[in-house]
Amino acid sequence: MKAFIIMLSLLVSGIGAKAQENYATSLIPKELLSYASAVVRNEEVNIEVKDLDNTFYHVKKAITVLNKNGVREASIVLEDDKTNILKGVKGLIYNEFGKPIGKFSESDFEKTDYVNGFSLFEDTKIKHYTPTISEYPYTVTYEYTTKSKQSLFFDAWEPNSSTGVAVEKSTFVFSCKPDFNIRYKELNMPSKVVTGTNKDKENTYTWQLTNLKAIKSEPYSPNDNKYLSCVKIAPEKFNYLGVSGSFDNWNQMGKWVYDKLLVSRGGLPSSTADRMKQLTEGITDPKLKAKKIYEYMQDKTHYISVQVGIGGFQPFLASDVDQQNYGDCKALVNYTQALLKTVNIDSYYCLVKADAPKQSPLVDFASMDQFNHIILCLPFKNDTTFLECTSQKIPFGFLGDFTDDRLVLACTPQGGKLLHTTQYKPQNNLQQCKANFAINADGTLSGDMVTNFKGLQYDNRSFLAEEAPKEQVKMLQRIYAINNLEIDKYDFKLDKSVQPMLTETIKLNARDYGSNNNGKIDFLVNATNRKTNTPHEVRNRHYDLYINSGFIDEDEVTYTLPKDYHVDLRPANITINKPFGSFSMSTAVIGDQLIYKRKLQITDGTYSKEMYQEFVDFYQSVSETDNTNVTLVKNN
Amino acid sequence: MKKALLIIILFIGTQRFAHAQDFDKSVTTEDLELKKYAKDTAAHAVFLDEFGNSRIDVVSDDHVRLIFNYHARIKIFDAKGLESGTITIPIHHSADNETAEEVDEIVGTTYYRDDDGLMRSAPLDIKKVYTVKDYKYRSTVKFALPALRPGCVVDFKYRLMSPYLDGFRSWDFQDEIPKIHSKYEVHIPAFWNFNASLRGGIKLSNTSSELERECFSSHGAKCDCSHIVYEMKDIPAFIGEDYMTSPKNFIAAIYFEEVEWTNPYTSVKTVVAKTWKDIDHLLKSDENFGSQFKRKELMKDRITPVITGKTDELEKAKAIYTYLQKWYKWNNYIGIYSFEGIKKAFDSHSGSIGDINISLAAALRAADLNVELVVLSTRENGNINMLYPVISDFNYVIAKVNIGEKSYLLDATDPLLSFGLLPLDCLNDKGRVISLDKPSYWIELSGLQKESSTRALDLTLLDNGKIKGTIINYYSGYDAYKKRKAIKKFNSVDEYVESQDEKFPKLKILKSSITNLDSLELPLSETFEVEIDAFDNLNHNRLVFNPFLWEKITTNPFKLAERDYPVDWGMASDSRLVLSMHLPAGYTIESPPQSVAFKMPGNGGMYASSFEEGGNSFTFSNIIKFTKPIYTSEEYPYLKELYNKIILTEKADMVFKKK
Repeated sequence: MKAFIIMLSLLVSGIGAKAQENYATSLIPKELLSYASAVVRNEEVNIEVKDLDNTFYHVKKAITVLNKNGVREASIVLEDDKTNILKGVKGLIYNEFGKPIGKFSESDFEKTDYVNGFSLFEDTKIKHYTPTISEYPYTVTYEYTTKSKQSLFFDAWEPNSSTGVAVEKSTFVFSCKPDFNIRYKELNMPSKVVTGTNKDKENTYTWQLTNLKAIKSEPYSPNDNKYLSCVKIAPEKFNYLGVSGSFDNWNQMGKWVYDKLLVSRGGLPSSTADRMKQLTEGITDPKLKAKKIYEYMQDKTHYISVQVGIGGFQPFLASDVDQQNYGDCKALVNYTQALLKTVNIDSYYCLVKADAPKQSPLVDFASMDQFNHIILCLPFKNDTTFLECTSQKIPFGFLGDFTDDRLVLACTPQGGKLLHTTQYKPQNNLQQCKANFAINADGTLSGDMVTNFKGLQYDNRSFLAEEAPKEQVKMLQRIYAINNLEIDKYDFKLDKSVQPMLTETIKLNARDYGSNNNGKIDFLVNATNRKTNTPHEVRNRHYDLYINSGFIDEDEVTYTLPKDYHVDLRPANITINKPFGSFSMSTAVIGDQLIYKRKLQITDGTYSKEMYQEFVDFYQSVSETDNTNVTLVKNN
Repeated sequence: MKKALLIIILFIGTQRFAHAQDFDKSVTTEDLELKKYAKDTAAHAVFLDEFGNSRIDVVSDDHVRLIFNYHARIKIFDAKGLESGTITIPIHHSADNETAEEVDEIVGTTYYRDDDGLMRSAPLDIKKVYTVKDYKYRSTVKFALPALRPGCVVDFKYRLMSPYLDGFRSWDFQDEIPKIHSKYEVHIPAFWNFNASLRGGIKLSNTSSELERECFSSHGAKCDCSHIVYEMKDIPAFIGEDYMTSPKNFIAAIYFEEVEWTNPYTSVKTVVAKTWKDIDHLLKSDENFGSQFKRKELMKDRITPVITGKTDELEKAKAIYTYLQKWYKWNNYIGIYSFEGIKKAFDSHSGSIGDINISLAAALRAADLNVELVVLSTRENGNINMLYPVISDFNYVIAKVNIGEKSYLLDATDPLLSFGLLPLDCLNDKGRVISLDKPSYWIELSGLQKESSTRALDLTLLDNGKIKGTIINYYSGYDAYKKRKAIKKFNSVDEYVESQDEKFPKLKILKSSITNLDSLELPLSETFEVEIDAFDNLNHNRLVFNPFLWEKITTNPFKLAERDYPVDWGMASDSRLVLSMHLPAGYTIESPPQSVAFKMPGNGGMYASSFEEGGNSFTFSNIIKFTKPIYTSEEYPYLKELYNKIILTEKADMVFKKK
């Protein structure tokens, strides 16, 4: 017996000695240092589901900060509120040679509310701490335990999600009782899961990655779920703040959302219902009816976000919005849905991941954490219309690049359905400019221009239409890079249809647009739509070329030249055709006029990474052509 | 100048006192009918009326508090104006929340016409008022008024109670939206004495004062109060401009600064600031300021090894500065005081502006150098009231070391600043120098330093149409600091060079070197050996070339026809370009660039270029100079025009012609 005890203690101390890691910076493999400002030396993330309302996160992390840019990677932000309770956190700091130089504990953390740019209030509270070390490199190690009272979603494991961070080793262990079934999704994982059981007889799922190089951000790269390693976990059965449920697929998830979060949130006072009937009286086309009601909703409401408890997923009551005139995306969609219902128009509450670049949920993996916004779908026969309900100005049925061309989950009484939102093709996203300008002998430019903005390009100007006139002039002077631009008259005409169009008319003048030196006038051939920022080159590109949205710009400018001058130099005509787009520019001199034509088309899509350099060269040619001078010389 | 930066002392009017009070008229149908504000038809919303009342008084728990009551009524015209219906009230508190400002008695109502055109009102639900903690010392009370729609009128009130009696509440007459009427009423017990000053260029429409008898009483202590009312009418919206310093310098507002106070119970009088002499005394004896500055013994041991063997004063000062710059990490808090004392800051390697720079000053003193402290107000914080001392105007402190005839201003909070260089945010107005052994005095901070850069290109056009050569960029003064900062954004110099290479697709960097990246006191230079794909070949009779190939100014940063506020760059600047170009045999220069020289009146700025041709090569050089840190709105048109001339000149191409 005695021998046994001795042996055991030896073993324990042996483990202890081994666990005392050496964090000297010199031990980091050289290949992990390029493009890295910080290196995760070791990370162990352990999610343990004890019960449906009792999940523990045990996290241990050691990270070396190599320079100033890596400081934020070692800053620790932890949730600590009603849903997620911080059970303890502590850490140590080591110098370059791996010698401990400091420690910290929970009392060093500052507690604040979670503040973001768009919410009036959220009930999430955080504790945060950033070690202050003035000499680089240094290493921070810490561990914490958080208890979560919900099991609807679990933090995905994304071992190297930030740019500039390399990872030596990261381990993810998910453990749960045998009767807690999960689905998991491995994205871009070189190795597969290892399953087993632990000493508590829990099922374990383990993933591990080693030696991941730091990611360098590349312009025009695809969505990061195309290349980042990630494991997502979803439960079969769960509890979320008192609401329980289960789902395996999108249909079941949509059903759960409908049954548990949406049903009976749509009640409205009868006066409001009557008003909707009155408003749509005499209109037979259900789409026109819906438009009328949508515009009523736009005039009445505005966006204010308040997220408390289950309210993070469940909309305010429609009757509340009716009274308060405000709500977040959930509330405003639910309200619009309720208004439409009063005139018997059915619509679907749709979960979407908003913003550009477009992102769709994983078709074969249903989970709640793949969305951040709600829109409304009108499932008319042969004509599915989607409505963005948080803007007072957006045209009926128009989505812009915020939610276009992607899958959304429509939550219907029959369950969830993945639907595809409106796609805007390059030929729909038009900017067409026609201008008639005169160049004077002193270099002054004057004349009129009319530009139509269609499809996604409608939003190039829609924000301007709301501004006060003084602001509008200021912004136009910024938009058009014409030196000394004076706007004599301007007008915006908005055609707010499903295919919206904005027409901008400007009468302008600009002195010294051309420079006159000794009877020679230089002026830029492209006055209105010059490309000045070209995408920068990328050496050793890793990712494909991805263009999120396509468009066509067409410009036609007629310059009337000053008397007694003729064209001496002008840019050579050019035509370029590439898979991702085309460009053509031509000039013609007819009498005393120079006619300039330009067409630029960019086609959205994913192209091989080898194509990227061609893309850079393409834009470089566009930019050079745009910035070429015409030279006029006085006749002898 | 249309609206000069203006601070005036207010003399209490002798007019008869018009009994002032909160507006209590009800919202009228005219208010709801109003379609536009006649004096500013573009306004998205307008304050119909605004009223504030501040007093120092005893509250229910027997504490003396500053009690501020606020009431506003806003007409909302359009969807953009709806944001005026979301109210945020910042409140301050200590780190442990033991002393804190509190907001209560919130009442809000929205008046609107419903869909049937009937006038209705909707009250704010008090449960929908939220308090958010932003950081250690500040929270925000927030609420959104209900039932907003374009055309509605919102009316809300609240009370804010503050334990901080030394900062009597200021009042902004001017806002981002116009105001028809704004009135501020104060009641100040004679135990407290404040100076009032008006900022901005708008006149009060009315001011009146009276004495209130025995308005303050607490535990037998009684005194009279000054009851003063300030009013403004038809206040235009404040619209900021680019390159402007703090809006606080220009917004119409009234500020109060504590002069002295008497403890009501002990009758002990505390002079806060009547004269600079008072302030000097106060600061020198303050345990978070002067006392820390005096702790040279504390710093002696720590800096002895740093200056061992150094005899020259300047060398010592530089060694200490560099040492502390590397030692400390700034914790992002600013202020003139050392929050927790310089010992704690030193031991933890971290501190506020006050902690770091006061310990720098103490360390320099420990080396027997002649050191002073300079308190100043950052550009963001606004200008200093020069009429009388206002200690709360200052929010930043730096050290001033005097060596021989010269003095150097030092800020150790940023490791990339060279000895004697200050961050841009400090280059504002004047600073007050606080010495331990002589009275304080002003020094000018604006325009203290310069930024300058020179770009030298030596290029050869080759037979294959490529251009090969060297580009050398020199940066000195603040430009060197900015460039170092930009380079340090990358993990290594190689990564920086790669980014430069990637920026210009037609340019390939073949070799590069950067010198003095870490020798902060020397000018920084970067040398690039480059190859440029200029022309696809030389089978053209005429080649068009623009000498501004690396960087060209194409748009004027100044667009407004005229400005209300000065352009404030904080420092003078100087940038030069020298291009030497060699052409292959057989080429001549058909249209050489013109040699030009433009000057602003009073030598405020200039642009000049010159061109010299010699055989198959030419040299082109130019210089852009702005000699002043600040340009007034009168000088603005000249500044704008100088840019116009620069753009015009840089636009002109050269043509190389085959013989």
